[in-house]
Amino acid sequence: MAFWQLTKLRVIYPVLLFLILFVDGTLMSSMGGLFTQFPWHILPTLTLGWLFLGVQFDVEKELPLWFYVVVVGVLFDMYYTGIFGTYTFAFIAAVAVMKQLRHILDERVLSGLFMYLIGLLIYLVISYVSGFVTGIANVSLTSFLLYEVLPTIVLNLTIAVVSYYPVWSFFQFLR
Amino acid sequence: MKKLFSSRTLVSIIVAFIVIVSLIAGSSWWAKRTNTPPFLQRFGNDLAGGVSRIISVPTTAVGRTANSISNLLDTFEENKELKSKVDEFAQDKVHLQTVEEENKSLKQQLKLKATLTDYKTVSAVTISRSPTTWQSQLVIDKGSNSGLKKGMPVLAGAGIIGRISEVNTTNSKVALISDTSSDANRFAIKIKGDDGDVNGIVTSFNREKNQLIMGQVTSNNKISKGDLVETSGLGGVIPAGLYVGKVASVTDDDYGLSKKIYIEPAADLGNITTVMVAISQIGAN
Repeated sequence: MAFWQLTKLRVIYPVLLFLILFVDGTLMSSMGGLFTQFPWHILPTLTLGWLFLGVQFDVEKELPLWFYVVVVGVLFDMYYTGIFGTYTFAFIAAVAVMKQLRHILDERVLSGLFMYLIGLLIYLVISYVSGFVTGIANVSLTSFLLYEVLPTIVLNLTIAVVSYYPVWSFFQFLR
Repeated sequence: MKKLFSSRTLVSIIVAFIVIVSLIAGSSWWAKRTNTPPFLQRFGNDLAGGVSRIISVPTTAVGRTANSISNLLDTFEENKELKSKVDEFAQDKVHLQTVEEENKSLKQQLKLKATLTDYKTVSAVTISRSPTTWQSQLVIDKGSNSGLKKGMPVLAGAGIIGRISEVNTTNSKVALISDTSSDANRFAIKIKGDDGDVNGIVTSFNREKNQLIMGQVTSNNKISKGDLVETSGLGGVIPAGLYVGKVASVTDDDYGLSKKIYIEPAADLGNITTVMVAISQIGAN
């Protein structure tokens, strides 16, 4: 593989995906005072955001997206929780729904953001439900929706809006 | 009308669901049973910890700056309050030193080796924190290399923040007390009441109030709001005398047979940049 091929989207996209996976964790730890200030529990979900941008800008033409989704999900489970299944499933389900929605919706920014919103909701709800499977859930649905889902969606949609066009042109440049 | 799901898709969805639920339940059961994760998982975690450590350099810098700016805003008020406390502490410190000396020489006379209050600490830096709904865990940069073991208590700032839940070679995970998994916050505690100590264990955490709960307390000793709570050392792994927090309220439990005590944890679970792992010295020598 010649050097110029390393700058192709099919190499850059997965590399950034894995780096962003760790950025989520370090953000959560460095901004912990802000994100987990009582009673809030805000999650940075940049990994899911990056997968959303991948779906929205159709990177699947060039790389095996599903494979990376599964690998990222397994890594996430292994590194952050030590319990396998929850986030692997959450990532797969969120990406599957976003891909289905993309067939229905058009390619405008707002449709894209709506798609991400639904994906995020699915991701968060699966993580909430899994707490009941392992018997560690200790937050009612209302406070989960109010103090976690709502601010998480606001934060991550804002990040998506800000990064939408830069990432789009970055992908164009790499293609 | 087009069918939403073909029967084949439906079957695969059900199979996938069963597989996932059993995977989650199975691995959570396995994680509770074992002290160290399987080799492959440990290797992966060590590798991931390395990458995380590099990434955490810039993000931690950004986070610290944001924190210092927000701290700056109430510095004046805080400073006034703290100044009044400093003199008090100086006196306490001198007193503590004298008592410690005395304690040491008395132990020597009695030929006592390590007791429940003896522990050494290993300090570590937080490199990551799970961005997850449940299982709020920290990843710290010390592992089995530094002698850490599963179950050891972790302190930050004012008090106890959790326990080591998984040990890899160069990093380990800390399950926070805010997490209601049984390995995170079931430790033996003691409340210093007015007419004697009350022993018990932390039974859960109320995330909506941000308070620890000590349930099934049958002791008749009077406990009032503001009483200090510390670890009792019973059980062996966790040394005695680690500060947990203060009593916030005392209520009767659902059946009126025992008391339920709400405890305001002393440590701030939001901002945790450095931690100390307390290693009990019992059995070490």
